[in-house]
Amino acid sequence: MSILPQLIANSLIAAGTYALIALGFNLIYAATKFFNLAHGAMATAGGYAAFFLLQSFVGINVVLAAALGVLFAGLLGWALDRAVYRELRKRKASNTVLLVASLGVFTVIQAVIAMIFTSQFQTLSGGAADSVYQIGGAAVTETQVIMIAAAVAIAAGLGLLLKKTLLGKEVRAVSDDEEVAKIVGINTERVIGWVFFIGSAIAGLGGILVGFDTGLQPTMGMSLLLRGVIASIVGGVGTVYGAAAGALLLGFVENFGIWKISGEWKDAIAFSLLIVFLVFRPQGIFKR
Amino acid sequence: MSKSKTLWVVVGILIVVVAVVYVVAGRKAAEKNVIKIGWVGPLTGDAAAYGEPMQKVTELAVSEINAMGGIDGKQIQVVYEDGKCDGLDGANAVQKLVNVDSVQAILGGFCSSETLAGVPIATAAKVLMLSAGASSPSLTNISPYFFRDYPSDAAQGKVLADAAWNMKHWKEVAFIQEQTDYAKGVYDAFATEFQSLGGKVINQPFSSNTNDFRSILTTLRSQHPNALFVDVQAPLEATRILTQVQQLGWKPSLLIPDSVAGDPPTIRENQAILEGALTAEFGTDPTNSKFEHLVSSYQAKYGAVPSYESYAQTFYDAVYLLKDGINAVGNNGTALAQWSRTIKDWQGSSGSVTILPTGDRASGHRLEVIHGGKAVPAAQ
Repeated sequence: MSILPQLIANSLIAAGTYALIALGFNLIYAATKFFNLAHGAMATAGGYAAFFLLQSFVGINVVLAAALGVLFAGLLGWALDRAVYRELRKRKASNTVLLVASLGVFTVIQAVIAMIFTSQFQTLSGGAADSVYQIGGAAVTETQVIMIAAAVAIAAGLGLLLKKTLLGKEVRAVSDDEEVAKIVGINTERVIGWVFFIGSAIAGLGGILVGFDTGLQPTMGMSLLLRGVIASIVGGVGTVYGAAAGALLLGFVENFGIWKISGEWKDAIAFSLLIVFLVFRPQGIFKR
Repeated sequence: MSKSKTLWVVVGILIVVVAVVYVVAGRKAAEKNVIKIGWVGPLTGDAAAYGEPMQKVTELAVSEINAMGGIDGKQIQVVYEDGKCDGLDGANAVQKLVNVDSVQAILGGFCSSETLAGVPIATAAKVLMLSAGASSPSLTNISPYFFRDYPSDAAQGKVLADAAWNMKHWKEVAFIQEQTDYAKGVYDAFATEFQSLGGKVINQPFSSNTNDFRSILTTLRSQHPNALFVDVQAPLEATRILTQVQQLGWKPSLLIPDSVAGDPPTIRENQAILEGALTAEFGTDPTNSKFEHLVSSYQAKYGAVPSYESYAQTFYDAVYLLKDGINAVGNNGTALAQWSRTIKDWQGSSGSVTILPTGDRASGHRLEVIHGGKAVPAAQ
């Protein structure tokens, strides 16, 4: 049996996860120009919100629980923008201050989740076991198929949203130059609020799918965020298709890397890719 | 500032200083009637699954001893520190116990990583460390200030390698090994024995924060080993790996270490895939009256039987060993360290304890097979 199809499948699954984090991260970065480290915690919060719903309401529809989890993550992101980042922006805080604040927010959310749900590993499950499909010699579960499909759909949807809708145009205007956007009459705070809502909701979906696939842990946000940030930088910070392309490249490099090198090098491979890009192509695959 | 104001400030400072000295002295006096013992184990993270029940076992033994009058009329007080099952936190925990709490003896760590990192610090401070859970072979003969009443993994790895070669006639065994000292210890002991018998071992180590094992498993599977050894520190990781093995449609023969076999819920949950899997545990003896007493009083105190009985018994014994040691030679790290090497045929809930000059316990693991969701002794 050739292992090639399975490795390709594994790479796509990993890429799907990374893309779901990187897409929202890039969207928020484009609009606000700061590294929102709390973005990883949005994924964790979304996953645990769905977990909470599935635990406390036995028999609740899995899709409904997931949708509410996504909504919760989105609202949390929006609320954080209102309560923390917007206040800081008002005071003309530098991006470094916002970055440190977001690290604080990340730590607080992670700690609160650990207090409520304990640090133990939890698995999201919709009752029935995940069905496994054989596709071209590779085994893939239903969750993983949804994950890949969701990443593709959201990347395409986000691209369309930014291009075709009024909100999308406003987001692009704010991303290009917030001051000018303000002058032409765009309510930039409202637009940034939307950006946080959408970006965090996508991260929440990522967290929920990871929960179904491998499981939930309060500390999972940081490793998801790191992978998302690598994907985002490799692909091109602040661009939608860059996030998707970066995630794809990272997924393939990581999974094909450990084909020939031992598994303990997985993290090292991911960060080597980041360093290679930072040194030789800092603008990423797609330049903004 | 006027003269009288300065005077008042000086008087104020003096009052504060006197108050602080008084409080500290009072605390010192109160401390004279207690013996502080340090404790290091994982209280958060995956491995807290062990740390929490072991903390309860320790509490149980300590409350029994204190109820009987403590040691020489002094009550035992345990200072619990979270070693998080990793070296850095283990070292910090030991540093704190040695420097802030000034303990003479530390019960811990539970994990090999915590212990390996902590022993040099304790040794430098001439403080005794007694581990009731760390089983890495690297701890053998590590320091005169260290001993353990839990056997080394050298025993576990060797027993499993012999069974794999002689009983199962396997020629090639694949390892998926977590990068912790415990899991590496099991791997090293297994590989040394299996290779000396003529077998081949392939290993894919992974770092502890990994959740996606698919490509590692895919690679291992493509080499067609006779069996897969799921060599992990915590049972939940085994569940994660076994789930992904099943998702890939792979049905290998399995080997699991005692960290997984010692957790009945994990074995039950994965019983379909684990049926027939080999393991080796440092078992319990339900007919031992001290063990019976441990189980029944644990149940009376906490309303459930202790999980990880093989560790519960060594933790329970470790507290009593420390009590006997302090009774015999006093609460002094160096004296306790010398005393530890004289322990011979000490009877506890884990059976007869004899400590070798290397600091290891003399007696080992027993081969078991998973059958019907339970680990049962293997018929050899």
